[in-house]
Amino acid sequence: MTSALAVALAESPLHASVAAELEDLAARLRRITVRIHTSGGRYDGVGAGVLWPATSGRLVVTNEHVLPPRRGDAAFVESVDRSVVEARVVARDRDHDLALVALPDLPDAWPPPATIGDARAIRVGEIVVALGHPFGVGGALSLGVVHAAPNGDDALLAADIRLAPGNSGGPLATLDGAVVGINCMIARGLGIAISSQVVARFVTEAMTEP
Amino acid sequence: MSASSSPGTRARSGTNLRALSDDLAGAVERAGRSVVAIHARPRIPASGIYWRDGVVVAASHTIRKEQDIAVTLADGTRAQAQLVGRDGGTDIAVLRFDSAPTAKALTLADRAADDALRVGSLVLAVGRPGDGGVTASLGVISTVGERWRTWSGGEIDRFVRLDLAVYDGFSGGALVDAEGSVLGVNCSALARGTPLTIPNATVERVVDALLTRGHVARAYLGVAMQPVRLTRSLAERLKLSETAGGVLVVMVESDSPADRGGLLVGDVIISADGHDMAEPQDVAELLGAERVGGKLELRVVRGGELKNLSLTVGERAQAGDARRRGARS
Repeated sequence: MTSALAVALAESPLHASVAAELEDLAARLRRITVRIHTSGGRYDGVGAGVLWPATSGRLVVTNEHVLPPRRGDAAFVESVDRSVVEARVVARDRDHDLALVALPDLPDAWPPPATIGDARAIRVGEIVVALGHPFGVGGALSLGVVHAAPNGDDALLAADIRLAPGNSGGPLATLDGAVVGINCMIARGLGIAISSQVVARFVTEAMTEP
Repeated sequence: MSASSSPGTRARSGTNLRALSDDLAGAVERAGRSVVAIHARPRIPASGIYWRDGVVVAASHTIRKEQDIAVTLADGTRAQAQLVGRDGGTDIAVLRFDSAPTAKALTLADRAADDALRVGSLVLAVGRPGDGGVTASLGVISTVGERWRTWSGGEIDRFVRLDLAVYDGFSGGALVDAEGSVLGVNCSALARGTPLTIPNATVERVVDALLTRGHVARAYLGVAMQPVRLTRSLAERLKLSETAGGVLVVMVESDSPADRGGLLVGDVIISADGHDMAEPQDVAELLGAERVGGKLELRVVRGGELKNLSLTVGERAQAGDARRRGARS
């Protein structure tokens, strides 16, 4: 689909500005997206994560299936600049497939956290993008539209977008770059993301627990 | 395209894609006001389009019951409808509400002109696979071809193939342009799962037929045929071209239009209405719905001699008349 769109736009005078907009968006999303390694520096279990805003400390949200308990609580988080830090899993929510990772004190060069959008305000048909590491390809952008609006507080966001293993834990974002979901699975070809308000609630609860 | 006023819009370079995104979401919103969910099969409901006052168009293969069908309207409320008729050939079914919904609950589809179908244009498939709201997928029109005939004999004005993903609720849903105008009724059951769109003109024709007669007329002769070659000596004697072929009649149904017109098993049809016949398909292509009741002039070879026959084209009996029980006068 995206290639057909690219072809359709290639001859258009709009093409240059649209391409620039997407490039800029991809660059911004790469900064708030991390790669997660679970066993040292080795590349097994590569998944994505999002630098999530926090009142104190630095946090990364990812999928629970990226950091299952059997792999222990240690995780290695890699930024867009290839800087890798050892972090630990501080909370897991298996029902929502979410895990929270606390980062140690970071060098200033680490990018600031993501801007979070409101998944409940999203419109069916609106263009959304996903950033992740599909099949290990780092920082790949995919583009699609919202397929169905989330229903209810716990609902998942369904997008007509091409995802692959490696997108797990990565952001689904609007064209503003606001994260409206954490990509978690592919169902019947649809990209499924956990709505941002569900993630925010999980993070808040995890941080207030003793 | 309207410029976006959302916060976060950046100057110049940031506006075109956002404007497109706003247009697409607006198109879904607009078309979604005419797209319903039809609960007439187990598990996943199918989509339908509010086509005329009180009348909904759906994909025939998704309709498994004929009476008291629950329909979810655009505002989430439910109404009841009855099947008026269906045409398996084009996979179109027509339902009628017991009482017409209010304009707030459902609005008539705004249809685009048929020349709006262009290869490469961005389109959305809008469906409603249940009570959870409207759904969309984005793609492009990949083929706009000529008039074609489906495997089950339906005539469709243009062959419109889509390059987009098919999800639940696709069939019976609307293909819409970036303005939200309906380009046709989507269907994945006419060509082995390939996403196709039945253009508005075809839908109109079938809806007319189903509303007035409860079915779509199919021309009918009552013959089985196979292609044959004539010998060179016979072709020379009858002054036919050397490569002359025809279609051999291998079966004539009793009391059919062919039988009444005097066609016999063993006749070789050389031409029909002046067109050379080489394949059974050539004969079938002359049998559009508009031929019912009209004459078909055949030239046949019988016993080594040429003979002219005039057949009155009949209408094929409808399979499963029970399907029309829901029809109203």
